[in-house]
Amino acid sequence: MRKLFWIGLAAVTGVAPASFAAEGSVTITSPAEGAKLDAMAQNKIVYEVMPGARGDHVHLYVDGKEVAVLRALKGSRTLDTLAPGDRTLCIKVVNKAHTPIGVEKCVKVRVE
Amino acid sequence: MDPQNLAYALIQLAHNFGAVAVTGGALAALWPPARMQRRQIAWLVLSGWGTQAASGAGFGAVSYAGYGHLPDIHGIAIAALTVKLACALSGFTLAGAWLRSGGGWSAARQEAVWIALAALGATALSAAAFLRWFS
Repeated sequence: MRKLFWIGLAAVTGVAPASFAAEGSVTITSPAEGAKLDAMAQNKIVYEVMPGARGDHVHLYVDGKEVAVLRALKGSRTLDTLAPGDRTLCIKVVNKAHTPIGVEKCVKVRVE
Repeated sequence: MDPQNLAYALIQLAHNFGAVAVTGGALAALWPPARMQRRQIAWLVLSGWGTQAASGAGFGAVSYAGYGHLPDIHGIAIAALTVKLACALSGFTLAGAWLRSGGGWSAARQEAVWIALAALGATALSAAAFLRWFS
């Protein structure tokens, strides 16, 4: 359906789409999947992003809630204090309108 | 060129001209030589607010149609968007009320409405800056 939308838009505007595939990639270097984090420590997420043709910048999410807009495509971000328990950290590539384009990486961590 | 960017750009074009119409139109109506044209200006301002609302929804529509998601904003950006929505609703209502019965209002009341319309336009423009850079 979405592919049809882009094809229709391309037909209406006469502009060829860059690609229908979800290009780009996200790598979270730290923390690792399943890592244990100290709730009292200043925890950081380290990442690197290839935004692809449709991506522009990235958003950081903790348990599905957006917590930061990251303009740098490579770097780190100190996380706000995380409550103890299992947490999911995600970095999603978004377009210029801040819409997630489907390129993302998540890691599950345990905060103690 | 990506059609996604073209679609957003065309919507932005309408949005920008809508902003000019609502703010510039209301300010022009306060200029004494333009008072005789207030009815035409009110139509311009009304259509400007309508364009603002429709194009604002257009950003979300393109995002949703293309990716199944609305733009992901939070915090100050949500507050700024709420302010813009409130301005659009108030501006459209005020301009519509002026067109319907503003001709019979006192001069002071008419002046107050145009000042309010200008203030709503300026507020929406200001909120747009925060929406742009805090999302």
